[in-house]
Amino acid sequence: MTAATAAVPAAASTESGAIAVRGVSKWFNTAEGTPLQVLDNINLTIAAQSVVAILGASGCGKSTLLNIISGIVTPERGEICINGITAGRFSEWRSVSYMFQEDRLLPWRTTIKNVEFALETGNMPRSERESRARDALKLVGLEAFVDAFPYQLSGGMRSRVALARSLVQEPCILLMDEPFSRLDALTRAQMHEELLQIQQLKKMTIVFVTHDVEEAVVLADRVVVMAPRPGRIRDIVEIALSRPRDATEPATARLAHDLKSLI
Amino acid sequence: MPEVLESQIHARAPARGWRFNLVLQRLGLVAVILLVWWLLSLRVPHYVLPGPARVWDALTLISANGNLWQDLGITLGRVGTGFILATLVGLPLGIIFGANKRLGEFFEPIIPVMNTVSSAIWATFAIIWFGVSNATTVFVVFMTAMPLIITNVWQGTRTVNADFIELAHVLRMPARRVMMKIYLPTILPYFFSGARLAFGFGWRVSLVAETLGSSSGVGYRLRQAADLIQTDQVFAWTLTLVVMMAILEMGILRPLENYLFRWKKEAEGS
Repeated sequence: MTAATAAVPAAASTESGAIAVRGVSKWFNTAEGTPLQVLDNINLTIAAQSVVAILGASGCGKSTLLNIISGIVTPERGEICINGITAGRFSEWRSVSYMFQEDRLLPWRTTIKNVEFALETGNMPRSERESRARDALKLVGLEAFVDAFPYQLSGGMRSRVALARSLVQEPCILLMDEPFSRLDALTRAQMHEELLQIQQLKKMTIVFVTHDVEEAVVLADRVVVMAPRPGRIRDIVEIALSRPRDATEPATARLAHDLKSLI
Repeated sequence: MPEVLESQIHARAPARGWRFNLVLQRLGLVAVILLVWWLLSLRVPHYVLPGPARVWDALTLISANGNLWQDLGITLGRVGTGFILATLVGLPLGIIFGANKRLGEFFEPIIPVMNTVSSAIWATFAIIWFGVSNATTVFVVFMTAMPLIITNVWQGTRTVNADFIELAHVLRMPARRVMMKIYLPTILPYFFSGARLAFGFGWRVSLVAETLGSSSGVGYRLRQAADLIQTDQVFAWTLTLVVMMAILEMGILRPLENYLFRWKKEAEGS
């Protein structure tokens, strides 16, 4: 155990957007009373401004790992460092943004008000909130729909609003939990392309959870493959293919095939 | 990319022709009722069923001597006071019972009991405790409206979406703001339907309370007119109440509801 922890490079990057996961283990209480281990000694360093996919079958603890990185779940063992600061002392949570699997738009708010929601934690003046939300909506191509209510939007548009809400706080880290899994293939591919453009523009670190191998190959610089029961890292695969990537190209398809055999 | 047309977003108000048609229908209904009323009144003595003309005369009489506006104002004031008190107590209690499961379970049996107690019983108690005064009517309205508001708000808290709470949690939103920005908007439609019901009930029971324990107000006037067999005045008061409820409903409540809940998808596709 101690040996494994020591093997991790001690000097993690303190650059804005860098994440280090050190020896993280997590147990959940079950109904029977015996704790169930969901994560076993996870060690992972994520470089600033990189795109990392956490890939695995359901039940391998990949969402739990993401929740631990986001700071909403605390591990029993190990620690998380963001920008070189341990999670316990880290206070800039506003620079870490989380996008859920569902769009989670508040039905009683218009598009722009939904985006502004992410800025309503602090005391930002209304006019600044509004202009920032407008910019974020422009970024995802929804400036014409600022006053629409969620029920008036299509699935793809709702997903864009959720993305704009994650971007409006100008995060240096964007965490995504199977964000586009509910969209049709065509819309999903379009969202992938836009996401990468925005990532280039805003210089963000993106960590996303997926069970879709093609999605991992198309988006990520590195793919962390996880194994279930208890959740642990099976392999970390670097993807050096040039961008933009197309899931149907032979090189991409071959890589996807190799990854699939790892899960 | 625009998958929804602009026009679709803004085309929410019903077409003008359709609205005009509805007004005509309503006017027709009023005409039919007036006609049937008039025909019936021709066959019975006026102290049993006065005709429309007689009631109109009574209406102009009570309106001219000032009773109409004064008593209507008094009753409305009492209903309003009872209703506002019921909201001030019922809304927070509903939220507390909904948010705290243990408290909710403990107090749950009280609500149906309160709902089954007749307003005549509350009125009797009120006369014993408060005598013939404003407080009697206010108390009866309060006791009738409050359980209705609690029940509805309570139900509303059960529908708060845990996903939205988690979203606020990830954003590190303080608990007070989560209350204001997620709980309150979720509860609002439930509160509104509860308040509407409570106001309607309050209005009806206020008359019962006023006939029993008051020396002013519409209920008192109704009893007075009935005692003196001034059936035309009974009708005149009743008509006033109906008109006032219609104005409240169509002039204030319905438009307010349409505005507040414009984010809801219409049930039938237009």
